[in-house]
Amino acid sequence: MFQQVDFSALELPASARSLQQEVREFLRAEIAAQAFKPHLGHTEFDAGFTRKVAARGWIGMTWPKRYGGRERSYLERFVVTEEMLAAAAPCAAHWFGDRQTGPSLLRYGNEQQKQHFLPAIARGECYFALGMSEPNSGSDLASVKTRAERVPNGWRVTGQKVWTSWAHKAHAFFVLCRTAPDAGNRHEGLSQLIVELNAPGVTIRPIRFMNGQHHFNEVFLDNVFVPDDKVVGDIGQGWQQITSELALERSGPERYMTTFPLFTELLRRLGGTPDARAAEMVGKLAARLWSLRRMSLAIAMTLDPGPDSGDGVVKAAVDLATEAALVKDMGTFYEREIIDAARLLADVEPTPDAAGTFERYLAETIVCAPVATIRGGTTQVLRNIIARKLLGPLK
Amino acid sequence: MNDVSDIRAMLIESATRLFADHVDAKLLAAAKRDGWSPGLWNIAEEAQLPLISIAEEAGGAGGSLSDLAAVLRIAGRYAAPIPLAETAIAGWMLARSGLQIAGGPLAFGPVHGEIITARKHGAQWRLSGSMRRVPWARIAQRLVVLAAGPGGDIVACVDPMQCKITPGRNLADEPRDDVVLDNVVVSASLAAPAASGVNHAALRLRGALARALSMAGALERALELAVRYATERSQFGRKIGQFQAIQQELARFAGEVAAAVAAALSAAGALERGEDATLAVASAKIRTAQAAQEGALIAHQVHGAIGVTDEYALHHSTLRLWAWREEFGNEAAWAIELGRALAAGGADRLWPVLTRD
Repeated sequence: MFQQVDFSALELPASARSLQQEVREFLRAEIAAQAFKPHLGHTEFDAGFTRKVAARGWIGMTWPKRYGGRERSYLERFVVTEEMLAAAAPCAAHWFGDRQTGPSLLRYGNEQQKQHFLPAIARGECYFALGMSEPNSGSDLASVKTRAERVPNGWRVTGQKVWTSWAHKAHAFFVLCRTAPDAGNRHEGLSQLIVELNAPGVTIRPIRFMNGQHHFNEVFLDNVFVPDDKVVGDIGQGWQQITSELALERSGPERYMTTFPLFTELLRRLGGTPDARAAEMVGKLAARLWSLRRMSLAIAMTLDPGPDSGDGVVKAAVDLATEAALVKDMGTFYEREIIDAARLLADVEPTPDAAGTFERYLAETIVCAPVATIRGGTTQVLRNIIARKLLGPLK
Repeated sequence: MNDVSDIRAMLIESATRLFADHVDAKLLAAAKRDGWSPGLWNIAEEAQLPLISIAEEAGGAGGSLSDLAAVLRIAGRYAAPIPLAETAIAGWMLARSGLQIAGGPLAFGPVHGEIITARKHGAQWRLSGSMRRVPWARIAQRLVVLAAGPGGDIVACVDPMQCKITPGRNLADEPRDDVVLDNVVVSASLAAPAASGVNHAALRLRGALARALSMAGALERALELAVRYATERSQFGRKIGQFQAIQQELARFAGEVAAAVAAALSAAGALERGEDATLAVASAKIRTAQAAQEGALIAHQVHGAIGVTDEYALHHSTLRLWAWREEFGNEAAWAIELGRALAAGGADRLWPVLTRD
């Protein structure tokens, strides 16, 4: 693992350092102005905040300038992401567009899609959701049943998507569907289509989280027309397309930092002179975070196509998918360690509507704790992937 | 790739070949009995591995701390029974303080913060005190001692023949010897005021970093063995690696190993860049010790009974992991220190400190 990475030489370049300060100042000012209320668990959907972030040039920032991007490095994007997470900033509105659909369009989209969607995403005006899971397709994503049938000038899509975060606020979503029947190789015959969420035949219903919050949805597609120009990449290549950028998606700071603000509040609560037990737990949490961040940074840096690539697309030649799976597996467990340390050291009851940030963060993180090890590849699936790489084919 | 990483890649390749070619079951068995392998030492010294990161003008082999880190990781992977880290740290103490480095294996102390007193006696120094569990003391050509002189700390190059050395060993039968200095005479040319940065805390820090790097390598080896065993051993009519229960454990193990490697090498880079490396080294020692805790036992579990035998190679890695995780501060000691420092800095400094790099 990580054989191609020289960890001892890995450090943020000066450009990323100055950006780090810039983002911190921006967030400090936002928090001081009470422009947003930080929440943990599910990040909030706040179009106003998203537009401010966009105005700073921090959405789609690695994309080519001709598509509204800033042609900055992956490490610079890394820095922005981790600062947003450290401040519990409400990034849901631009999250999927910036992180998944934008990069996919950049790599596989046609020119019209790129010109239509990318600048709008980068301006913080166009929000995407992801239509992957279905009632009978969770970890086994290749088994999706949503199907698209060929009609003149496009496709008619019918099926059901679930766990579609923020579909009720987004403009469009990527739908993974079957455009040809499963004829043996189940990874073939899948395609990605862009479906506008206000299109006729689309019905969105909330799936409430266990604490009553609404961010998940189920989305029903009933004979929804999708014109040919909204097919992403090539028909039948959907599987390759969704798996090609997994290394970055699985290894980003969001895989180990979603409970970090609770760590900060824990330290505030413990004060300047904690006892040995508390100090030991704090030291271990810090050491684990520092180590995870080094791995996550290494992946971002290694996949960075560099300023001269022109297309802003990850280096395809470098395969860090297994390393990324390791980061997600360890990172999501690390997030729980913060919750447990906070719980055990503070002896307070988690209180959803508490005035105190610590009690509220504790409540928000505890109810969301099961989610991180499920979404984006369950722990068990990740470990299977890692083991396959370790062991090779066994007979 | 730039020049620095090219050179390091070559160093990694040649060091890997050197240890792979020479460290075998017979050599390790002999070292278990004798405390070390003089033959391997000669080969390593010829390849200029022991004094990497020390300037050539000072008698070192040149190269950077990251180069040394790469070598220590590989030596750990092969369980090389020679005092590479100790020689490098002792050499650093000497070079920093303007003293010449002679050839041969070196040891340094104290490693538990004991006070050795140094008194001036004409042109000579006289050193007294005792040091517990000094790594490799009995086989070292010279003991490099940090002692308290009347005008501040000094670094002294001591002839071990003049000390009373009581042999001891760690779990892996590496020498960890008690050393008593009773008015040991050191000529003025072999002692000097300790340079700034050469102090007890720095010895502990560098020792901890060295052990973290060695543990990273030992973990890599234990994982290699466990993976190989899982692909070879059959039970219930299948390779045991085909069982998901085994696969999940190996995957967890691989994560621990990757984290250990990342942390240890990163800490070496931080120290090399001259940053305040306490966070980095503490994190590296904590993370590698945790990985050792998880990884060594998974390695044994996957191996079943054969793994605990003297005949099978796994114990060369796991016994060292269990010994090294305690040396120069275990994960609890470093975590308490790190936790107190972070708390003293205050909650709003936590994130900036963690991301200072």
